[in-house]
Amino acid sequence: MWGWWRFGKWTVLIMFLHIIAILIFTKGFLLTRTELPHSSRCSDISQSPCHSSSSSSCWTKPAVDRLIIIILDALRFDFVAPSSVFEQKQPWMDRLKVLQRMALENPSSAKIFKAIADPPTTSLQRLKGLTTGALPTFIDVGNSFGAPAIVEDNFIKQLIQNGKRVVMMGDDTWTQLFPNHFNKSYPYPSFNVKDLDTVDNGCIEHLLPSLHQQDWDVLIAHFLGVDHAGHIYGVDSTPMIEKLEQYNAVLEKVIEELQNQSGSGKLHENSLLIVMGDHGQTLNGDHGGGSPEEVETSIFAMSFKDLPSLPSEFVSSSCEPSKNICISSIPQLDFAVTVSSLLGVPFPFGSIGRVNPELYALTVGTWNLDDNKTWNNQDETKLEEWLRNYVNVLCANSWQVKRYIDVYSASSVIGFSSEDLFHISDLYAKAEENWLNLSLYKNESSNTSLPILKRQIVAYFEFLSYVAELARSKWTEFNLKMMGTGIGIMLLSLYCHILAIKKLNKSYGVSLLLSRDPGISFGLMLASFTTLMHALSLLSNSYILKEGKVANFLLATTGIVTLRFSFMKNKMLLEAATFLLLTFIFRIAIDVGLYKQAATSQFMSASSSWMPGISISESLRTYMAEIVPILALIILGYYLYKAISNYCWGIAKCVTMGTILSYLLIALHWISESNILDLAHFLKGYGKNYIPRTIYGIGLGQLLLLAIVPLFRKEEMSNYKGNLFVKMISILSACSSTVIILQGKQGALVVLGSLLAGYCMMRLQGIEQHTVRGGAGISIFNPLPIVQWSLLALCLFFATGHWCAFDGLRYGAAFIGFDDFVLAPQAILLTIDTFGFSRILPIFGLPLFVAFSSLSNQTEDGSLFSIKLFWIFMVYGLITATTATATIVCVAIQRRHLMVWGLFAPKFVFDVVGLILTDILIFGASIYYF
Amino acid sequence: MEESEKSSQSTISSFQVFSIHVCRGLALAKPENCSYLKAISRGLLGLPVGALLNALGALALGAPVGLQYFERTISWTLLMSSLTFVPTACVYGSCWTDWHRIFACTKPKGPLDFMLCLPAHGAVIGAWFGAWPMPLDWERPWQDWPICVSYGAVGGYVAGMVGSLALALMRTGGKQLKAE
Repeated sequence: MWGWWRFGKWTVLIMFLHIIAILIFTKGFLLTRTELPHSSRCSDISQSPCHSSSSSSCWTKPAVDRLIIIILDALRFDFVAPSSVFEQKQPWMDRLKVLQRMALENPSSAKIFKAIADPPTTSLQRLKGLTTGALPTFIDVGNSFGAPAIVEDNFIKQLIQNGKRVVMMGDDTWTQLFPNHFNKSYPYPSFNVKDLDTVDNGCIEHLLPSLHQQDWDVLIAHFLGVDHAGHIYGVDSTPMIEKLEQYNAVLEKVIEELQNQSGSGKLHENSLLIVMGDHGQTLNGDHGGGSPEEVETSIFAMSFKDLPSLPSEFVSSSCEPSKNICISSIPQLDFAVTVSSLLGVPFPFGSIGRVNPELYALTVGTWNLDDNKTWNNQDETKLEEWLRNYVNVLCANSWQVKRYIDVYSASSVIGFSSEDLFHISDLYAKAEENWLNLSLYKNESSNTSLPILKRQIVAYFEFLSYVAELARSKWTEFNLKMMGTGIGIMLLSLYCHILAIKKLNKSYGVSLLLSRDPGISFGLMLASFTTLMHALSLLSNSYILKEGKVANFLLATTGIVTLRFSFMKNKMLLEAATFLLLTFIFRIAIDVGLYKQAATSQFMSASSSWMPGISISESLRTYMAEIVPILALIILGYYLYKAISNYCWGIAKCVTMGTILSYLLIALHWISESNILDLAHFLKGYGKNYIPRTIYGIGLGQLLLLAIVPLFRKEEMSNYKGNLFVKMISILSACSSTVIILQGKQGALVVLGSLLAGYCMMRLQGIEQHTVRGGAGISIFNPLPIVQWSLLALCLFFATGHWCAFDGLRYGAAFIGFDDFVLAPQAILLTIDTFGFSRILPIFGLPLFVAFSSLSNQTEDGSLFSIKLFWIFMVYGLITATTATATIVCVAIQRRHLMVWGLFAPKFVFDVVGLILTDILIFGASIYYF
Repeated sequence: MEESEKSSQSTISSFQVFSIHVCRGLALAKPENCSYLKAISRGLLGLPVGALLNALGALALGAPVGLQYFERTISWTLLMSSLTFVPTACVYGSCWTDWHRIFACTKPKGPLDFMLCLPAHGAVIGAWFGAWPMPLDWERPWQDWPICVSYGAVGGYVAGMVGSLALALMRTGGKQLKAE
């Protein structure tokens, strides 16, 4: 044990460093807000201290009867705002003239707002944010790429629950998010970016007729043309300007129509029109990130009555008197709750926005005006009445936010710190206290109550803005300090790794009585270059998406270099050629895997680059598909038997016999699943679950045997290499049966292929071994075969139909041998299936390079072997750690990337889990083999 | 889209013709001991062999398989073959030791070997680097299968030519200096 500790301490140290680094980085990187399934109800308001405005209404008195929401996707703020606001007039500005005219002509009933979105600024995430009033997070965004339907409470759901009728037209993302919510919907596919018109024309076709109809309360029209035009042509382009002008014409018609019908008793007597963007875009048409251009969009709201204006202390606008226009800014967070309060439905449960006073004041219903009398600006009582009403709404709003925070911190693992919670409670208590005072004043004269009302509003604002600020910092802002620390520790661990390898080099040299440093060889250069290329490729989403191809490309490159090398030496040409052929076969398998991935991934279009060219008859193909894997299994079993029969080590023989039995059982299992032979009936009851379970049992027993027996048994040290070989064979065979059955029919073929590839690599490694014989085996320090081995492992991961996304997990594998879902065994099986070929088998197979490396050199003693072994484990660990570090750094760099949650974060999770697993396996393997 | 593909293919084929001519010229100008006709026939024989080897290499590295890529792959391999194999085939025929010396050991002797060895290696390395932009999602027409690889190969070839020229000049210059 002491001997192991000499080098084993490094593996422990590095594993420790990795775990710490990953924990710290993850804490700073993954935004962990969990979704709560609760939703608000009308009756909830009775629990609040707020005055119910009237018995008939829900949380608030409905202020508008009908709401028209027109969403223009990727609407930049400068599309809407007048060009005089900006320093320079650009060609795309001032195109939506009708909105500007309305805002200028009647500033109290029509307003342009600057709306600030929260990143990620992609349509799906923004629609979620707009309707739920909550902030996006990793968990919910990650889920959204698989099944996008919103589970959290949102205002569309509230509308439906409270009997409002909703009509939707345009972007079909809405119907994905709200599958059964709309009374009527006219969805159009949003996928084809090159199509500028289909969605818009569909919208226009249904929008104007719908305005005459009575069968809806809320109408949503989502136009996509500007977004698509931006993606393809950029903002400064003719198609973009044409699109904007088309919208201008449509909006003109809509506004005219609404104005015509706004008379008393008419259809749109009390309607509100909202024209808004879901996010902005850069000049190139990109969006997704958090730059000002992307997050700044616009909301235009208009009602069709003359209205009084608010006192200036509630107006957050930056007015420029010279330019005669005021533009206020409003966080998109506030949209859901404001619209809910206007329509008189309960606020979404998880909303943390506040009812925006200016948007709220834009509607007739909040003002209690007499129809006949025009209002008077000096009328203080009207204003007071409005403020009283607004305070009531804010009271409900604050109470709802406080309730959400309380429920959230009670139910979620990572909540807010107690300090923050205390501050929240404090602010809320203060506001409440005021509220009680206000209630006392209620009956007194109105002159005194106006300032009190204002003070009350300020108290609520303080509370709400503090909560929003806190939530934003907890849920949407990456903690750069922690991420930096994590990366720093990761780099430190790499340094430790290199230090450990240096040390091993040295002690190897010492025990060979050599002092010279191996120096920089061609193999080392190529190995470093390959690893570096792989690490750099992780910076781009395209390479992550096609990582299998990248790995195969690099593997084939090293294969070609080796082939050239063997040409140079005129030796082992067959092995080199076989190796290349194998990479070609793996490459085909990876292509098939990519094809599968494209079918589910939203980032890839299913490319038909790979076509099953072989057109053999169907029956023959199925026949082949049944027979070939079984043949492969038999060959595997045969070689296993042959390999072990030369050595007579009792336990090993026992273990391999167990494996051969497992193989037979696997073959039986496959036959029972297929329909070539009519064994299905025979095995129906037992075969389906018992055979796999028996195989798992045998595997577990073998592992236990291998782990326990050496403790009681002293090995003879004379034949170290033979021992090592037997140990390797037995543990590989013990693991392989479970991995193969989980992997399914291709598993046996893959094992056979990788065995052949490993054999070729091992032989090819020998080329240099022989050539540098004079240098007394220094060439063991050539890391190229180990890089090849790790690339091969990566290829196997993709070739077996996995990819780095959560939908790439093969959930089917977890249910082989089980019918019902039980967490622990299913999780273990899924892990074995996912990492079996890419981590478990390759790491236990690493001694291959030692056991065979110097076949002719029998004189080397055990300690030298163990140094070599440790060296190989260390190099393999270093390669894995380097790629994982590269992933972490790339994720940190690309944290505002459009696909950060869809692509980079899953890749990060896979790599990090893989790294820790590798560390653990190396730790275990080094103990086992020592 | 289609137009650009066609134009790129035509550029490839014109490149081929061009390079074949250049290589021939290069090869024919140098060796005094073999007839032009023999060199041409060797080159013609070397072309399909080199094309086959290049195709195998490209397929192992991940070039797209499939019938719709067949034609493009063929024209690309012909281009690669004429950049890498044909010149050497013209000069050395099927002499194994010379091939071994130039391609396996990379130990060129004299300016002629440099002119053969460096551009060929340059073309292969250039093509290797040229393959990297292919998976990127920029959706440019030149990212299609053989186009950027061909650009890389030609770029590498030209770099190799310049390098070999410089090396040859340096060598001869050095020799002349020594002789003086």
